[in-house]
Amino acid sequence: MAINKPYNNRAWLGVLPVLLIVAFSAVIPLMTVVNYSVQDILDFNSRFYVGLDWYRETLQDPRFIEAFGRQVLFSLSVLAIEIPLGILVARGLPKNGAWTSVLLILLAVPLLIPWNVVGTIWQIYARSDIGLLGVGLNELGLAFNYTSNPTHAWLTLIAMDVWHWTSLVALLSFAGLTSVPPAYYQAAELDGASKWQVFRYVEMPRLSGVLVIAVLLRLMDSFMIYTEPFVLTGGGPGNATTFLSQYLATMAVGQFDLGPAAAFSVIYFLFILLFCWIFYNSVMLDGTVDESEARHHD
Amino acid sequence: MANIILDELGFAYPGALEPTLLPLSVEIKDGEAFALLGASGAGKTTLLNLLSGLLVPTTGRILFNGVDVSSQSGSERNLAQVFQFPVLYESLTIADNLAFPLRARKAVNGFSAVDIASRVAKIAGELEIENLLKRKPKTLSLFQKQLVAIGRALMRPDVSVVLLDEPLTAVEPRTKWQLRQSLKRLQEELGVTMIYVTHDQTEALTFADRVAVMADGKILQTASPQEVYEQPAHEFVGFFIGSPGMNFVAIDSAIPAPMYAASGVDQFAQRIGFRPEWARLEHPPMTHPLSAVHWLGRVTHCQILGTQDGVPVGITTLASEVGELKVRGAINATVGEEIMVVVDRCVSFCAEHYVATHYAQSSTSQLTNPVGNE
Repeated sequence: MAINKPYNNRAWLGVLPVLLIVAFSAVIPLMTVVNYSVQDILDFNSRFYVGLDWYRETLQDPRFIEAFGRQVLFSLSVLAIEIPLGILVARGLPKNGAWTSVLLILLAVPLLIPWNVVGTIWQIYARSDIGLLGVGLNELGLAFNYTSNPTHAWLTLIAMDVWHWTSLVALLSFAGLTSVPPAYYQAAELDGASKWQVFRYVEMPRLSGVLVIAVLLRLMDSFMIYTEPFVLTGGGPGNATTFLSQYLATMAVGQFDLGPAAAFSVIYFLFILLFCWIFYNSVMLDGTVDESEARHHD
Repeated sequence: MANIILDELGFAYPGALEPTLLPLSVEIKDGEAFALLGASGAGKTTLLNLLSGLLVPTTGRILFNGVDVSSQSGSERNLAQVFQFPVLYESLTIADNLAFPLRARKAVNGFSAVDIASRVAKIAGELEIENLLKRKPKTLSLFQKQLVAIGRALMRPDVSVVLLDEPLTAVEPRTKWQLRQSLKRLQEELGVTMIYVTHDQTEALTFADRVAVMADGKILQTASPQEVYEQPAHEFVGFFIGSPGMNFVAIDSAIPAPMYAASGVDQFAQRIGFRPEWARLEHPPMTHPLSAVHWLGRVTHCQILGTQDGVPVGITTLASEVGELKVRGAINATVGEEIMVVVDRCVSFCAEHYVATHYAQSSTSQLTNPVGNE
């Protein structure tokens, strides 16, 4: 029997709105940047094609390499603290009862504060002349000054990011933990499982899904961090806390070097894409192996 | 393995007006298959949680081998539990799942890797799941997963008691029978004390050496399945067990005094109860002895469940002067027909409690043999 398949090219019109939105929101701006990145732009009327020169220059720029190194170090540091800490906080939350909602709301507070306000809060909080934390540390005999000491600046930044974002990991982990049926805990208890075993074999398998999301979000966000260090340290002392975004902003907005800034942006974008791709695939690899095994057995 | 004594054990939630579990005393023998049977809300889950250490009794004690364990945690009591749905460690293979309770207690039990491996092989062999050992839980069917969960509960040779909380709920009907067989066989072979909580009378009666029937936070009767079926200690037991349950008839109004006196029903009895298969339908002329209790009824419904020797058998429902009656056996009447219900055997109750069993005197029919325990 022949299948009567209606052909109607007007269906394409249905896709058009989405195409338009994606084009204007993503493709066109990105392509503009790519276009800029291969030109030397002096003003709107005088631009010259320079090929991959800007890319070459950016990748060899010692300030870019330093900022990149700092960026990686910063992202890994905050991930290494926020993920375990978030899980710990989530495990410490009561599963139900009046306190649960109160604590969840309190946890969400840092996430609701505008980023530059977060920076301002910590800028004041950590000041060694009037800030509660800064003065307190100095009173304890520690010569704390984040405006002059790079290590102190780093510690303050990391503390701020942990304060700001651990809640996100905690909330996601809490959602994961509530999906563990109580019977699983009871079974583990009756089996004589230790606390570590309960975490490793009961909770972790249920948490892995949300943790992938948490790591991805925190990785991308921390890799693009701009506002908070800009307000807190302004990238200093020296360039000690100048991360990629800030360096890029200096180049593009401060010096109006559109070509190099565009090349920088493309490289930056590709790095984030690459990180996420590697991470996602390495995590999802386990799952797919199991799936195919399952099919094989059945 | 342990002998378990519940001594005046009771439980009330804090602030509750009535206790969830009224004080009750039961002894469960070492190696016994014991079933807790009751409808939802009867208190059987509360009793189970008290046994597993999830709840602490508000009155009374729980003794395992004479030791008061009332305030001990579940792991200290060394018990195992099988849940309504299979609970497995999702990231571990089936072999590792089985080995888990032994590995976790290695420090206490001193099991070597060799001991553990041989125990895994033994239990897997008993449950016939050797071919699953290398697989992960998510590749198994629900039935297989529950088998593994049962296996894990049976891993510890020194386990004091295995609690089964409606373990067949999630299993599809076709495989329920199979799992019940495996469970019963293992219980007998390993001699483990098992407490099986269920609302399904078939599961309870086929599995257990003794059944405790619960309602409203009380144990109404603790007895062998046969006794529970034939001599229900309480009218609720007669009503709850059996499908359909017992027929009940109040004596004062419905049975002419000479009729029940001749049947030997005690004068203090207020109601009689009879199982659908303890009665039969008879067309006039009557062959039943005068001593048998009997009523005239009109057939309202026939449910054919099969045939025996070419005769349809099933449940006949009748409307009679004493209310609706159900009779199991050969269906020899059609809907609308008037026919005599002859009771060959009945039990009498006083204030809802069992008094005695009565048989119709020297019946002429061979159908009078009780078939209740089939």
